Amino acid sequence: MPNFTEETISVAGGNLQVYKGGSGDPLLVLHGAGGNAGPRRYAQALAEKFTVYLPSHPGYGKSDRPGWVETMQDLACFYTWYQEQEGLENARAIGFSMGGWLAAEMLSMTGHAFRKVMLVGAAGIKPNDGEITDIFIISPQQVRELVYHDPAQVPEWDELFGSDPTPEQAQQAEGDREMAIRLTWRPYMHNPRLPAKLGRVSIPTHIVWGENDNLVPVECARLYQQALAGSQVTVIPNCGHSPQIEKPDEFVQAALAFL
Amino acid sequence: MDVFYFTEMPYAEFPESEAEKFPSMRLTFPNTYFDADTASGLMNRYLDEYQYAEEMGFDGLMINEHHNTPSCMDVEVNITGGILARITKQARILMLGNMLPTSDNPVRLAEEIALLDVISGGRIISGFVRGIGIESWANNTNPIHNRERFEECHDLVVKTWTTPGPFRWEGNHYHYRAVNPWMLPVQKPHPPVWVPGTGSPETVEWTARRRYTYAAFLTPLEVAKSLFARYREYAAEDGWEPGPEKFAFMICCHVNDTDEKAQESGKAFLWRMNYPLRGPREYWSPPGYTSRAGAQAVAARRPTPLHELSYEELQERYHLVVGSPDTVIKKLRHIRDELGVGSLLLEAQGGRLSHADTMRSIELFGKEVIPALK
Repeated sequence: MPNFTEETISVAGGNLQVYKGGSGDPLLVLHGAGGNAGPRRYAQALAEKFTVYLPSHPGYGKSDRPGWVETMQDLACFYTWYQEQEGLENARAIGFSMGGWLAAEMLSMTGHAFRKVMLVGAAGIKPNDGEITDIFIISPQQVRELVYHDPAQVPEWDELFGSDPTPEQAQQAEGDREMAIRLTWRPYMHNPRLPAKLGRVSIPTHIVWGENDNLVPVECARLYQQALAGSQVTVIPNCGHSPQIEKPDEFVQAALAFL
Repeated sequence: MDVFYFTEMPYAEFPESEAEKFPSMRLTFPNTYFDADTASGLMNRYLDEYQYAEEMGFDGLMINEHHNTPSCMDVEVNITGGILARITKQARILMLGNMLPTSDNPVRLAEEIALLDVISGGRIISGFVRGIGIESWANNTNPIHNRERFEECHDLVVKTWTTPGPFRWEGNHYHYRAVNPWMLPVQKPHPPVWVPGTGSPETVEWTARRRYTYAAFLTPLEVAKSLFARYREYAAEDGWEPGPEKFAFMICCHVNDTDEKAQESGKAFLWRMNYPLRGPREYWSPPGYTSRAGAQAVAARRPTPLHELSYEELQERYHLVVGSPDTVIKKLRHIRDELGVGSLLLEAQGGRLSHADTMRSIELFGKEVIPALK
């Protein structure tokens, strides 16, 4: 198992918490609205082949929020700044859920954001038929019930959810939720102009979705495919919104094959 | 002491247990339970009752607004305020209040309140509120920005009233090229501003620093006392001493001919203390709506939610004062003497309290209770 370290670096005038581990070409992993769960099993596996960078977004975890980070586009600007500073331009990247939307915003801003990118259950594009589930109007417990298609098949369930959060963890989760609300309240979890702006993208893109995603409808995989020329799509059967946690082996296999 | 009459203009004409089928009676409780003809009758009835309240001697008429809830049909205090401005003659009109954070147009708001002040001949008290968390959902305004929008909207409204136009405004949330409304308030420099609170320490300080009137809403007496004490401390820091006119207290209150009759008819208020106050935390206080320090302070101050209190407990704690004129006079004097407030805001119609009981109550307030409080 590759060792991950936790470090704090200064970016754009604030502290950024980053888990870093493995060796090889850099791989930037962008977490979702729920926060940074640290180097889970999937990240450990990817670290066998890559140097994995897993930052907590500004305002999340132990990362500061520079006062100007208010929107997803601000966040994308922040991360291009981070990439430039850390020599991560043209790195490979994976974006989960809101982090997928973040990666897509970065793609829309510059031609050298990434060498290749995987978008996993990505928010950012409004579905035509369904709706992106409003995760703010329901409790965190209700959100969790929707994220996983079958909790019994989540190998890290006990580690992730087995014990009640400490008061510090509860405060942290509340702070993470506040940051998600700040970034994505309205229009909720999407940018109406994003699909058009993705027309500039020419790098390889791979769109991955759990077939039974209850948060971001699987039809969004097709919408991303339409917006991103030449992208490939993998739908993982019997799987919810977070394939990397619910089906880590299948997810890692798909990721390694593409990246 | 001034006494204000208030109703939330409830729509209680459906079996209240229907609320149990949904997360709350607010926000997502389906409006298929609404009947416009019923509402028409109720709204006109409530306006008649306001008119009668003035006639019987209430010093002021208080109105408020909420959204997506049968507990309050008033969706726009500037509309009902406009009606009261025209159908009443002397009573002050306390709008408590306009929700500033959900307003996208503070200049329009300043104009509307000014128009009401003009029509009423300077009888408007302009309450400004942050709105409960549910309003952030109903109006889809980011709860994270609630306090900063409240403050910026306030600053712009007051500047619009007091600074000769035209001027520009390029703020964080609001932007205008030419602030220069023709309509300005009668009262100078501007109508009195009142702010309600249930315990948030930031609100007390903000209100005290601006010398506005702070109205404690349905808090236990000792909580109101400590909030008012905080206000006085901030005032002392700034070198002034607030009189009773800077403090108001809002409760539910019902009078009937005898204690026995009042205890029976007063049960109508249990409707408004029950389902309309229930619902998930996410509805009432979405993440970011309240600072975490503020949320903890509020939680510490009002440990038992109102909807978990019995009829007797609500009365023991002065959230609901019910009785004959003599009983009610005693209790309201106790509140006045304990708190030193200049105004009592009495929600005197609530839930399914009938027109007849409401009118009788208003009459007894006017003939017996209000004179005894002067």
